[in-house]
Amino acid sequence: MSNADMQTGIREEAARLLAEGRVDAVVGFEEGSLPMRAAPCFVSDPDGADRLVWNAFCSNNLSRYLRGSDRRLGVVAKGCDTRSIVELIKERQVARDSVVVIGVPCRGMADPRLLSDKAGPGRITSVEEAGDDLVISANGGTITVRLDEVLHRSCAVCVRRNPVLSDVLVGEGVPERPGDSFGDVAELSSRDAGDRWEHFSDEMSRCIRCYACRSACPMCYCTRCFVDDTGPRWVGRGTGVGDVLSFHLMRVMHLAGRCVECGACERACPMDIDLAALNRKSCADVERLFGYRAGLSPDAPAPLSAFDPGDPQDFMLEPGQG
Amino acid sequence: MNAIPGRQVPRLLDALLGGHVVFAPVRHGRIVAFEPIASGSDAVLGCSNSTVSPRHVLLPRMETLLTSCSGDAYARECTCPDSPVVLFGSRPCDARALTLLDRILSGGANRDVYYQRRRDLLTIVSIGCARPLETCFCTAMGGGPFSTDGSDILLEECEGSFLVHVVTERGRALASKLGVCDAGRRPGGATAAAEEETGHPAAPTGIDPGMLKGSLDASFDDPVWRAISERCIGCGICSYVCPSCHCFDIVDEEAGGSACRKRVWDSCQFASFTEQASGFNPRPTGASRYRQRIMHKFSYCIDDYGMAGCVGCGRCVTECPVNLDIREVLKAFAARGAL
Amino acid sequence: MRNPYAPIPMRVVRNRLETEDGGIRTLTLSFVDSSEEFAFEPGQFAQLSLLGVGEAPFGIASSPMEPRLLDFTISRAGLVTTELHHLEQGETVGLRGPLGNGYPLEDLRGRSVLVVGGGFGFSTLRAFTEYALHPGNRQAFDGLTVVYGARSPGLLLYREELAEWGKRDDIRLHVTVDKPDDSWRGPVGTVPALVRGLEMPRDAAVIVCGPPAMIRHTLPVLAGLGVSPDRIHLSLEMKMKCGIGKCGRCNIGRAYVCTDGPVFSLASLEALPGEH
Repeated sequence: MSNADMQTGIREEAARLLAEGRVDAVVGFEEGSLPMRAAPCFVSDPDGADRLVWNAFCSNNLSRYLRGSDRRLGVVAKGCDTRSIVELIKERQVARDSVVVIGVPCRGMADPRLLSDKAGPGRITSVEEAGDDLVISANGGTITVRLDEVLHRSCAVCVRRNPVLSDVLVGEGVPERPGDSFGDVAELSSRDAGDRWEHFSDEMSRCIRCYACRSACPMCYCTRCFVDDTGPRWVGRGTGVGDVLSFHLMRVMHLAGRCVECGACERACPMDIDLAALNRKSCADVERLFGYRAGLSPDAPAPLSAFDPGDPQDFMLEPGQG
Repeated sequence: MNAIPGRQVPRLLDALLGGHVVFAPVRHGRIVAFEPIASGSDAVLGCSNSTVSPRHVLLPRMETLLTSCSGDAYARECTCPDSPVVLFGSRPCDARALTLLDRILSGGANRDVYYQRRRDLLTIVSIGCARPLETCFCTAMGGGPFSTDGSDILLEECEGSFLVHVVTERGRALASKLGVCDAGRRPGGATAAAEEETGHPAAPTGIDPGMLKGSLDASFDDPVWRAISERCIGCGICSYVCPSCHCFDIVDEEAGGSACRKRVWDSCQFASFTEQASGFNPRPTGASRYRQRIMHKFSYCIDDYGMAGCVGCGRCVTECPVNLDIREVLKAFAARGAL
Repeated sequence: MRNPYAPIPMRVVRNRLETEDGGIRTLTLSFVDSSEEFAFEPGQFAQLSLLGVGEAPFGIASSPMEPRLLDFTISRAGLVTTELHHLEQGETVGLRGPLGNGYPLEDLRGRSVLVVGGGFGFSTLRAFTEYALHPGNRQAFDGLTVVYGARSPGLLLYREELAEWGKRDDIRLHVTVDKPDDSWRGPVGTVPALVRGLEMPRDAAVIVCGPPAMIRHTLPVLAGLGVSPDRIHLSLEMKMKCGIGKCGRCNIGRAYVCTDGPVFSLASLEALPGEH
């Protein structure tokens, strides 16, 4: 089903939910104010449903807006977004019966920066979709690229493009990506420690401590983040590599077993830092240690909250003991 | 010589490096930022503007104010490096923003000595905008693609060279060091023809700062702020990329007998910004914090400093992860004011 | 160019307990460099600084007529205030000040002045009262009435000064508590209730400092007494860091609480955005 057809389906579902009074508002996407952007929007009356769009730029994880909402919400959710919803429900941040999930199978979202690279110097005036292709209009001409060539990093390694849960499903399922999806983690892990240090120091040297990664992340909902604590001060607020890496590594640890690899953090980052790499390493470790991958199963207990005597303990016991 | 051939710019920057720290646009992967360059060829001048503003040249993202080691009776002030600095390749909007920071940080009864020391050592060489981006709205905010406000020298592209417009005495001193002189023409004249051809995207209609202020002042308690800011995730990117934001936090750190006091950038968009020790927060909602950003920039700054806290660089428009477009917010309020 | 971020070194002369619950203490500080010229007006504040721990703002509680020794009354709430409470005689602490605008003395002169304070908020009101009672200043004020209340006698600040003031005939002093103990002989009741019973001329000026609840209930009483909003002066609390109008944190409307305030007339407060 084309994105245009999905768009029609989303509009119809949203209008129906609102007309029936099943939700107070639907969180979806509307046309962005710039090329290659779609903007999260809240529609609260059935006529407003015509504002909703579905295209290759609907990359934001809208589940973030479900937290602490004082309204019953409908939400347009891709595979990764529903994984976040699963975890938010497990952590009691969202009540299952207060949301209506409009599930949308997703072929991946396009990265505007990659599209700009393809277009070369000059301004992109519009990007239109044509089947599996994107047609870029820039510098008075057009260039056609395949969506597959310009996906966000997180979309290129996505293991769950179809919604994990939904109340309504718009569109047909899409085939999931086969094969081992932690290839990128394996590659990075295979480099020696000095190389890895250099890679991450270099990436983190751009960090401006804006905390957009934290704000965009659906799972970062603490009302008081560890960064703001003064007694004790867990991590410095400076921009030196020590302080920066400490912040990011601590955030990775807080997300262990909870990160759904949606990529919201690295898409939000204005300095284009490869943030997901650290989180994905932690996701790979959690899968190896606990056989768990966040957001894929509403019933599986969260590994760091539930103890199973069968959990590996080789971090504190010699192999063969215990 | 009143123009610098484009291909000679790297050599000119190398010459400056002899006696100055030079900040110029540098590419890091897919972003462009103003960083100190080691060689003239590091600078990239072809892009319309950098991803983040150059305000860290005067107000670093992290700056140590005071320090003490064990054995020190009292805190010692930190001094910033004392070599002269050139900011090369900033845009007129960024230079104009620094004139606002001057009013805030160097003005008033207390002068920020750390800012002032850097200011005294800085010469700004801006490049006018022959090709404004569609996100630019400097003209609406009182600036312009060839405005000289805040620049010491303004360069203007003209047939492969940069015409030199000397603006201040500090600019004149640098120009003579470089062996160049003022072109004796009004900045912007060279691209007038190109302007007419492409129109002037830097002046979107519907934003009149005076009408805007009146409308905002009358709308403080209007519930519309919630709807306007609904998509905002409070990430603060807008503050961090902005050339005219100035809010900072002061933090103390202690380790192994030595202690220091630093200032770091902060943002009114963070919930903890105004949260008091008692737990009371005068701006408890995202909507109240977004309202503060708009009111501060487009009303309170005009009252306090005589200019809006926005120069129309458009970075917040480009970098906002949820496409909350400030131009649309401003147009909506300006339109109300016209009613 | 003087660096407004650099603290002035001060020495602790005395650290005395104010309230029987241990929560409030008053530090008396002297200047390490005795040639330091420091002058302030009642209502102004200063940042007390412990490098490595932090800074916090406190109203200057002592008389401006004796600026060589400064009193700061500190309520223990967090990291900085706890460290300040632990300071011993002879130890050093940094000070940045005087900051803020102080009470509007030009508006108060020639009028009958009513000082209304509650609990911990009385610190800068003590500075003002000492200033007003000073021989050279007293005749500038037509009348001087001070109302001060606390939840219980053990929570009253500055009991020595209160006793001294009570003996004078150039000040009408009313001290009240919500809950008396066995030895309490004074009025019992809230501050607003006591203020309601006062006779004040219509053109009196009032300075009020105390907990939000006390202020909320006192303002209607003052309105009932016919005091106009531009003659009622309050101290606004906002989180502060730099204290000199640069960091943006205390910005409200076109004002910065640390430089345009913290003292605002009720009329000006009503003109500011309703965020306080």
